[in-house]
Amino acid sequence: MSQLAPLLPYHRVNILTGTRTARLVEDPAEYAKLIAKAERPLLVLGPRLLKITLGERLLLEYALDIAKIKNIPTCATATVKSKMVELGVKPDSVYDLVEIINALKDPQWKGVRKEGNHGLVMFFGFRTDLGEQGLSVLKHFAPHLKTMTLCKYYYPHADFSLPNLKKDEQWKAFLEGLIENLKKE
Amino acid sequence: MAEIKELTKKLKEVHERIKAEIPWEPIGHTPMPEIPDLRNWDMKLLQTYKPWYAPFCDLCCFCTYGKCDLTEDRRGACGIDISTQQARFVLLACLMGASAHASHAGHILEVLIEKYGPDKKIDLGTSIDLEAPNIRTVLGLKPETLGDLKIAIEYVYKEVTHLLDSTAMGQEGSCLDYESKSLHAGMLDHVGMEVADIAQIVGFNYPTSVANTPLVDLGWDSVDKTKPIICFIGHNPATSTVVVDYLQENNLYDKVELCGVCCTALETTRYYSRAKVIGPFSRQLFYVRSGIADVIMTDEQCIRTDMPQEATKAGSALIASIDKVMYGLEDATEMDTDEIVKKMVEEKKHFAILDPKKAAEVAVKVAMAVAPQRRKGWITEQEATEMSKKCSLCGMCETACPNLFEIGRGISEVAKGNYEVIREIFNLCVGCGKCEEECPRKIPIFKIMQVGASKETWKIRAGRGPIMDTEIRTVGAPITLGTIPGVVALVGCSNFPDIRDLAEMVDEFARRKYIVVVSGCTAMAVGMWKDADGKTVYEKYPPDFDAGGVVNVGSCVANSHISGAAIKIANIFAALPLRANYEVMADYVLNRVGAVGVAWGAYSQKAASIGTGFNRLGVPVILGPHSSKYRRLYLSRKEEDEWKVMDARKKQIVETSEPSPEHLAYVCETKEKAMVMIPKLCIRKNDTPQGRGIKLNHYISLYKKYMGGGLPEDLPLYVRRDADIPLVYKKEVKAYLTQIGWKPKEPVGLPTLIGTYPTKVPVDSVIH
Repeated sequence: MSQLAPLLPYHRVNILTGTRTARLVEDPAEYAKLIAKAERPLLVLGPRLLKITLGERLLLEYALDIAKIKNIPTCATATVKSKMVELGVKPDSVYDLVEIINALKDPQWKGVRKEGNHGLVMFFGFRTDLGEQGLSVLKHFAPHLKTMTLCKYYYPHADFSLPNLKKDEQWKAFLEGLIENLKKE
Repeated sequence: MAEIKELTKKLKEVHERIKAEIPWEPIGHTPMPEIPDLRNWDMKLLQTYKPWYAPFCDLCCFCTYGKCDLTEDRRGACGIDISTQQARFVLLACLMGASAHASHAGHILEVLIEKYGPDKKIDLGTSIDLEAPNIRTVLGLKPETLGDLKIAIEYVYKEVTHLLDSTAMGQEGSCLDYESKSLHAGMLDHVGMEVADIAQIVGFNYPTSVANTPLVDLGWDSVDKTKPIICFIGHNPATSTVVVDYLQENNLYDKVELCGVCCTALETTRYYSRAKVIGPFSRQLFYVRSGIADVIMTDEQCIRTDMPQEATKAGSALIASIDKVMYGLEDATEMDTDEIVKKMVEEKKHFAILDPKKAAEVAVKVAMAVAPQRRKGWITEQEATEMSKKCSLCGMCETACPNLFEIGRGISEVAKGNYEVIREIFNLCVGCGKCEEECPRKIPIFKIMQVGASKETWKIRAGRGPIMDTEIRTVGAPITLGTIPGVVALVGCSNFPDIRDLAEMVDEFARRKYIVVVSGCTAMAVGMWKDADGKTVYEKYPPDFDAGGVVNVGSCVANSHISGAAIKIANIFAALPLRANYEVMADYVLNRVGAVGVAWGAYSQKAASIGTGFNRLGVPVILGPHSSKYRRLYLSRKEEDEWKVMDARKKQIVETSEPSPEHLAYVCETKEKAMVMIPKLCIRKNDTPQGRGIKLNHYISLYKKYMGGGLPEDLPLYVRRDADIPLVYKKEVKAYLTQIGWKPKEPVGLPTLIGTYPTKVPVDSVIH
């Protein structure tokens, strides 16, 4: 996270963060490596996961696959918990977005499994504007952790982000690639 | 010694200004408080509700030493860090908001004192003796005349200047002190708003001491397009009320339609209930571009700054009526009326006219002259389809949409003859117009949206001003004991994620017998929905400040009546003296009055200052997702933070472990989450077991309804004893509590923060 902005965010209400912008990652294998080597990763799940389907599958199902492969703890925000329970999965924690970010800011926080704060926090399924503001909090006030996004838009305030993907097929391919690569890691 | 002498002299001056010799109540510790006077109270709040900063950008570009990079603990050339920079930004926003209302108040006062003189008595009717709870609490002044209100507004001006000074380069260096200053600005805002609305009620003879104000037409199709139409946009009724007078004096009532967008519309309907409310700010550009208004009269606040260009494009005439917004137009205040009319009609010129009488006469004459020649109506579906065919689905419109909509898809569907998608998008549109600006093919998206715009009309209850003392006497006990589960104030602007959320929230909580209060653009938005019986929430629920009532207090400045109602509960019901006694009032509200603000579409700096003023008074505020862009929230961490209070009766500090209220300024991403946060943020330590049981009943049932079943994860924190558990869920909750090893705890007899931080206020002063 130390390069000049390589591109603009898709929703330009979030335009130009300043000097520090996310590293753009297009290769799912690289994302898988980053996740695999991270210390105590956390997957934070947003309400858009319940509204979007890729192919025949709800976006939340991709998220749960990612969590399951690497036993990554989850944090359900907004109304995500209800759908998770319906799918037979219990979230490791339930906080709203601003609350989990507030906790993550604290390096002494014990994390959702009480094993210590998380080294990598992945965000998936949030409004771009709220998500970007939340990532800004962590960028500025949580130097002890890295952030990553799994949505199809570029998030400048994250440490690692996907590019703006014009077609959902590209996103689907990325997520499937990520899942496959995680299985290998 | 010299310093003591100076202080004494200063206090003497303050006592003169607040007329200390009139002994209506003993004077508290903070008459006309300055920046440091309530700082300890603020710091106490900030200890629990720590600022949460979400910087929009890494840089500071306020001075020529910059731009300064503030990432990774870097400091700017002046030494500022990223937290302090955010806090400074928030303070500036609060000052913009507070000064907008204060200046509005000052202008109205000037107009009314010119007309009636400074000795015009303040009389808010037979049911309101406590006319100005904010002014009395903050200043220690009991205003009896318009001249007294001037004392209050001059105090606000002075403090705002001091606060603004602190934002200059090389001043304040602590984010917490900036937050204390923001809280100060917010408190001042409520004083300024109160001055404005009391002056308006007195000067314009608005309804007061009455709940059942008229139901007024709402929606653009309520406007009769066959008549000349004058549309007011803004907040200040100084000119719109004169237009009404002009119509009356000239027997033109039935000849001209008056309507408005934003708060001037609400103000005008308090003066003249036949005026029509078009809708909130989000409908402004859309309505202007429709060209239906023959004359647009702007006053101040929340008006688009490109109004002359937009009016010209739409073929409407424009009059700017207040000096704060003159758009570079020629000032025609001294020009002959007929000459102005001629130039506006024949040359299509727009003017600034700062004399309300002249502006009113010109507006009516121009509207009557141009209306017969103008085509006014919506485009047809066929026309929209033709216009949409140019869309190449490039997606540029979507990248510019702050509400993240697929506008391009909507337009391309219109091109195929399907209007459903655009109808849905229009309902959610916040009306900024950025999509159209971005379109490389110049497709008139807003015009096309006319086919998606509902032609339905609704009813809104005219704003009623202050809550009556008589109502407070009825509800004071049930609110503080918790048997009325809470007061939910839905306030603020129209940057909603979905405009329909508001009416749903009102319906949900009014049905559950909360007291629901609304104001401003939100008051309009909640009216734009009907139930299966064709009723709006204003027709469905009584207009009383009582359980299950839906109360429209009025425009933005009427928000002061909501904070005023909270203060009234402490003063009228609990009999705590309020005069210059801010800490005691705020402490009472924080610990004992289950009230929560919901600013679901807050966008303006005014909303920032209103909300921050509520926060200082101890009222938590829930914001919609866009409001993370304000850059600052006040959040606690319920498990980690201390929740100590003083039990005033036992004079003992008690660790309650109860996060009530949990946050002071909080953003929710979805309506569903807000529905669950509202009842939780109404919980107070003072609740009786019966009251707590009722509140938890709503918290659990709303959790089950919107979060998909189960029990709230933090429920054990709010159950003190078995008696707190709602009967309906007794078995389920008890099983859960047993499973997690919950232990009962004693409720606090009389919870207060007084005595837990350095203050001159003695603990006994909170005992009533």
